Amino acid sequence: MGVNWKHLIKRLADRGAEYADVRYVPKEENDTLFMWNGNLIAFDRSEERGYGVRVLVDGAWGFAASSSDEEAEAVFDRAFDNAAAASKRSRRPIRLADKDIVKARFESPCGIDPFEVPLLERVAVMKDIDSALQHKDVPQRVVSINTTRKTIRYFDSEGAEIEKYIIEIFPAIQVGAFDSEGVMQQRGYRPPRLGPTRGWEVMNKEHWKRESDRVLSELFEVIAAPVCPSERCSVILMPDMMFLQVHETIGHALELDRILGYELSYAGGSFVRLDDFGKLQYGSEKLNVRADATLVNSPGSFGFDDDGVAAKNRMLIENGILTGAITSRQMVMEANDRAGREIFPDSGGTSRACAFYRVPIERMTNINVDPGEDGTLEDIIKDTERGVILSGERSWSIGSTREQFHFATDIGWLVEDGEKKGALRNCTYEGMTLDFYRSLSKVGDESTWEVQYVDNCGKGAPSQEMQLGHGVPVCRFDNVKVGE
Amino acid sequence: MAKENAIKVLQELAAYARSKDAKAMFAWQSEDSRFVRYANSAVSLNTREILTKLEVTVYGDRKMASSSIMTDANDLDSMKKAVDKAVEMLPFAAPLTYQPTISVIPETVISEEAYDSAVVAMTSDDVIAFVEEAVSGLETEDILLSGNISSGVTEQAFMSTESTEAVCWRATDIGITLVLASLQDKWEVNAEQFAGRVEDLDAGALHDRLSWLVELYTTAPAERVPEQPFTVVFGPAALATYVDYHTWIGFNGGAMKRGFAMLNPDDIGQKVLSDRFTLMEDPTLLETYPRPVDQYGRARKPRPIFDRGVFQGFIWRQSDADEFGEKATGHDVTSLSVAMKGGDRKVSTIQEFAALPRDCDILYIPYLHYTGLVNPTKGIVTGTSRFGPLWLKKDGSIAVPYNVRFTVSLKDLFGDNLRWVSEKTVPWGESSHYRSRNPGATVVPVLACVDNINIELSNESF
Repeated sequence: MGVNWKHLIKRLADRGAEYADVRYVPKEENDTLFMWNGNLIAFDRSEERGYGVRVLVDGAWGFAASSSDEEAEAVFDRAFDNAAAASKRSRRPIRLADKDIVKARFESPCGIDPFEVPLLERVAVMKDIDSALQHKDVPQRVVSINTTRKTIRYFDSEGAEIEKYIIEIFPAIQVGAFDSEGVMQQRGYRPPRLGPTRGWEVMNKEHWKRESDRVLSELFEVIAAPVCPSERCSVILMPDMMFLQVHETIGHALELDRILGYELSYAGGSFVRLDDFGKLQYGSEKLNVRADATLVNSPGSFGFDDDGVAAKNRMLIENGILTGAITSRQMVMEANDRAGREIFPDSGGTSRACAFYRVPIERMTNINVDPGEDGTLEDIIKDTERGVILSGERSWSIGSTREQFHFATDIGWLVEDGEKKGALRNCTYEGMTLDFYRSLSKVGDESTWEVQYVDNCGKGAPSQEMQLGHGVPVCRFDNVKVGE
Repeated sequence: MAKENAIKVLQELAAYARSKDAKAMFAWQSEDSRFVRYANSAVSLNTREILTKLEVTVYGDRKMASSSIMTDANDLDSMKKAVDKAVEMLPFAAPLTYQPTISVIPETVISEEAYDSAVVAMTSDDVIAFVEEAVSGLETEDILLSGNISSGVTEQAFMSTESTEAVCWRATDIGITLVLASLQDKWEVNAEQFAGRVEDLDAGALHDRLSWLVELYTTAPAERVPEQPFTVVFGPAALATYVDYHTWIGFNGGAMKRGFAMLNPDDIGQKVLSDRFTLMEDPTLLETYPRPVDQYGRARKPRPIFDRGVFQGFIWRQSDADEFGEKATGHDVTSLSVAMKGGDRKVSTIQEFAALPRDCDILYIPYLHYTGLVNPTKGIVTGTSRFGPLWLKKDGSIAVPYNVRFTVSLKDLFGDNLRWVSEKTVPWGESSHYRSRNPGATVVPVLACVDNINIELSNESF
């Protein structure tokens, strides 16, 4: 006999809860396969089941989680009691924006369920890829495939009932070799969106052979390359670097909970203020950014968020002007209240928790930069006097209000007088966020646009890791500080 | 679940695995985590999670496979299914180039030195009352309180099919981070404490630091720092961040073999850092929530990593030792007990130091936000200041600087540029964790002074 979640929610309402919801995860499976130099050093299956209860009492949140069905009533009471205790130190009672109450189901698009592929076959595919990466001058090679399959059932006191069935697959390869200075150089590849579905079909043999050959070839380029010169010049960010730039300095900066100070004691705040919306020149006129949870086939598209709000496609930056944020039911009410005007009409549907035992917070969906009209990568190179093409994230460090950043990349290529020259190693670039986006001078067309997946975005306290996406084109920024 | 029950469950699971002719290791964790989060001078979240996780690793001829489950602590059937799963997976594992070692725990060891029942008894009201005392009189309409107060009990137990003995460890931990921030100007200052026992918490010390910083931030001039080299005095959070990089890219043998480290075997016995830099892995330090015995049942002893700058050698976890033909050093624990030794500078707080005369401008950087490892081979790390940096000027005055970015090599930072180290040390931990509770703290000097830090990016506002 299962737990009657709706009954337990009603019981909390009878005790005086203003709102309550439960996310019940009957089963979440994660397979982690990690091969290093041919050795399968992680061959792991993990499973979890449990539920998290969130309760609003006297304008304050309480939360509790457990895997024990037998203790469900006590766990619901614990969440209520936590909220009641929190309400004693309340300054602004929490209110939730209206939403459409739905009874619905979402299923992520998947061709071949990776969990139904025999383990023998999965390992064989990894060994094939590993073989393709083998080379006498490459001492380090990594092949990994992480897969997730989970069901989440959501009920709330307003009558919403939602079931989500999600399958994720995150494969990756990386090779490393020492350059002439003895410094380990790396080149990696994680596939962007490859089609309308993401299941085992992304492990297409020919695709991975082609990418393995490219990664190896570029590793050899970088270990023989000169060091990136220290200067100010243009940088052309390939999608596998541009996504991280957007993630760190647009995505996180526009999470409304950060803007309102809810992450100040850990993840950080945002340089954005409430009175910036509709006014702030975030970037050049070429910059158009949206939070699009309706994008087909991305970890950032999940049907309904953990507030029970349906997926939305909202502009964040239009022609360079800041217009929107990454929002949830709670935060839009507080932001409008604090601003004394309606900045946000309703929730943007971005509230998500990474597991049953974590509380939902504002998370990126698909934070996309719209393609531009500046042609192909080749067109952009042709129009560049001096610059560096940068690809592959190697390290990232961002200011606490996302006001500035420093990135290192796997590889760079010098551009001189409209021509792509040789590779560069140890490339880094840094800058101030607004100056950087205001220097955006070229935005590649649809042919350069890729949806990059992120499987480990960290935020929150207690900490949470989340999956999401970024659709981004090739972009050029000018007068950027680059160097080793 | 009490430790006796954890051992009983593991014994049942080991017997079950043996009945399937499986060689298996078991790792059990149960946690009771509480978290009170403040934002905008209110409790923004109050949570409690009670979670149990079991990991099973099954070994064969140059093969291994593992399965884990998070479920009800009493759900033995689900745990047996996790054993079944690992056993079922093993034939499909690709052969390794080495034979992985399974533990043979020689005797049962139960460690509870870092457990305090008073932590378990703490209520939300207790936490709120403590915080009230720590920030008393400091909040205004503009200066708002944020904070994380994480507390809990963690219990771990390890066993294998190769003996009936177990390693069991239980600890309590409390991590407190309090932040006061200006809504209008956006500056933020903090105070932190990490302790295993309630009696070690000190609301007064938190208040002293916060009130001193708030006074400075509301009265001293705010200034942009010039982009040039500075002498920097780091606080414990910043120092712990840098020291913790050593556990990753410094003395970790596995990382070294994978080409992801700044030290190599030729450095053993060599003076590679300052003689002011001594680092120990010391499981006798109670403030690090120490594990006196590792998961393989090996008793752990203090081990020097750097002795006055001389590198003493790598540590080897069992899996790395197996893979690279080395001998495991007893460091198969979920959190090391790393401690940087204090120096000869008799100064206990930044308040004290700021009152002393100085011969040059000094930046005080208490905390590093979101550091990035730019180049592991060269030990290059970048990061920005956060939470109350100060510009201590040569003339004795103090300004409050906007945040700055700098990129340093750990070899320089703990090498020739290390000017002095405070005698007093403190534990610095993490008040929240990804995935599961894992108490840990690094012991570091309260202050250390480093010359020639190049400020490469200087903000123009808070």
